[in-house]
Amino acid sequence: MVHFAFLDWFWVISFILLMTVCGVLFYRLGKRSMADFFLAGRGLPWWLPATSVYATHTATDTPIWVSGVVYQHGLRGLWYTFFSAWCAISAFASTRIFRRSLAYTQAEWQTLRFSGLGAELLRGWIAGWQVFMNMFILGWVGMAMGKLCNYLFGWPQWVALVLFSTICAVYVLAAGYWGVVMSDFQQGVIAFLVIVIVSFWGISVAGGPQGIVGKLSEMGQSWRLNPFSFTGLTGGEFPLIWFLTMLVIAVIGGFGMGTSIDWYPEAQRIQSAKTVRDASYSIWAGTALIVIRNSIWAVAILGFFVLYPNIRETAQYEMAWYRIGFEYLPVGMVGLFFAAIVAIHLSTISAHLNLGASYATRDLYHHYFKPKATEKELVWAGRISTLILLVGSFIYGSMIKEITQWLIFALWIMAAGIWLPSILQVVWWRFNSWGYLSSWIANLGLSWLVVWVLPEFHLLPDLPDYLQFWIMMVLGGLLYLPITFLTKPEDMDRLVKYYVMSRPLGWWKPVRLEAERRGLIALRAEAAKGGG
Amino acid sequence: MSWIRRRWTAAEADFWTKEDYLTFIISPLVYVMLMIGTALSMLLRWYGFLLLGVGVVLFLLMIWVIDPKLKAISGDYEHKQKHYLEDLEKIARWEK
Repeated sequence: MVHFAFLDWFWVISFILLMTVCGVLFYRLGKRSMADFFLAGRGLPWWLPATSVYATHTATDTPIWVSGVVYQHGLRGLWYTFFSAWCAISAFASTRIFRRSLAYTQAEWQTLRFSGLGAELLRGWIAGWQVFMNMFILGWVGMAMGKLCNYLFGWPQWVALVLFSTICAVYVLAAGYWGVVMSDFQQGVIAFLVIVIVSFWGISVAGGPQGIVGKLSEMGQSWRLNPFSFTGLTGGEFPLIWFLTMLVIAVIGGFGMGTSIDWYPEAQRIQSAKTVRDASYSIWAGTALIVIRNSIWAVAILGFFVLYPNIRETAQYEMAWYRIGFEYLPVGMVGLFFAAIVAIHLSTISAHLNLGASYATRDLYHHYFKPKATEKELVWAGRISTLILLVGSFIYGSMIKEITQWLIFALWIMAAGIWLPSILQVVWWRFNSWGYLSSWIANLGLSWLVVWVLPEFHLLPDLPDYLQFWIMMVLGGLLYLPITFLTKPEDMDRLVKYYVMSRPLGWWKPVRLEAERRGLIALRAEAAKGGG
Repeated sequence: MSWIRRRWTAAEADFWTKEDYLTFIISPLVYVMLMIGTALSMLLRWYGFLLLGVGVVLFLLMIWVIDPKLKAISGDYEHKQKHYLEDLEKIARWEK
């Protein structure tokens, strides 16, 4: 339990008021139209969605996750957080293509890229899955806050889950994405500053940089300073093959859409940027901040390891960064620290409330239930969807126990079978909606089979996660590739229209030639000539 | 560095070229350098500062390579956007 003085509570209450009022102030802009409620009118300069990318992916569970992997692995644990690097290529490839499509959501994009029944099934499926996933993410992030407040104040875990999500819902309901992105900006700035202050404080307490390095050496733990300290090619806790698999997933994944669960919130930020260039820079810069933030945390957690080297329980060492702040900051500063934690929590909650509501409103209510709805009705549908997500998150939150276990499952397994199809749909004209849909169905079955069911019945040994990834990718391919070739290609009219609008990368030659034949785009040679 | 093209018309910039492919290579390297460089610099390792410095130089190079092209794409696309948005609304409302 932590004791809060008057100054500590002053920081906390002031920050909560500031964040809520800042969001609510944009009420008039948010209610103008659905494009305002979910995309801030598609008019934001790059630095606003960039801070939103950073703030959204700095949640209360993030330092728990980073603390867990760095305490266990030292600096090589940073590679577990490097999945976010899919944005390195995406910012200049799939982001550019997606921004040009102008789709509100990834579900809507399916009906621009594909055609017919398959496209509609995909749109409905992805929209429904995203509503569920956002509720689920809200639940697990909310529970992380519940655990923290239980540790700090002894509150039952559900109290913080309900309290902070409800505060956040006030400005999301009022101003939609305008409220989200404006609050994210100040929350992002506050969070980054406090992360730097607390981490440097922790490093100082542990003896400073030289002290940490010296003590690790004395303990025979110098390998923790080496980000490349592999335990062999395939064996041990950190094999080279895991590292290479992670690099492939993270970096090559940037050519696709939906190769990471983070694509979906990023897609909303991409469409809210005012130009293609702003969209690219927002995704790149937001992720660069995330990468730097993880490193700052990692060094502080090395300091924590030096102070407490013998913690065995995961749940204990996962709290490393929080313990640095709450056990070592002076009175008055602890409140500032907690206020920053509230800031990072609200930024994530607000983003997922609005994102989940955008799928429920744009792709389910508007497209399937009431296509003739007015803008006013759609904004209200957005607000009601937000409320449903909020209540759903309380239910999911109360069901989640182990944060790290769920995160590993979500990062590796849920993405494994659809990783390659999510790239193929962007780069290969012949890949059709039936192929993509079947990859989703196959992945849902295979992930449970390979990870839990078959090992439980001793039909498959417990495999390392990188092997599970490759197995599911191959097994999935055995299903969706034949289905793709056995079904017709997408309608050429739709493909040409999509090509002209989005100018995708990869194997699109038949579609490009058709677009040139119809005179819809300049011939490559003519374009070069025109440029002089 | 004439190998890198820095003047683009909108029609030319619509094609994927070596400038894009070069950016695909540099960009992940910048993230790697920033991540490792920041951590090791905070531990006052000399090679950490070196990696961080390389990361910053690569970042500047990446912007120098890709920014003229992104500007050309964005400028032209803004003119077409209104028409595409109308089309999108028609699809959402089943009018197309």
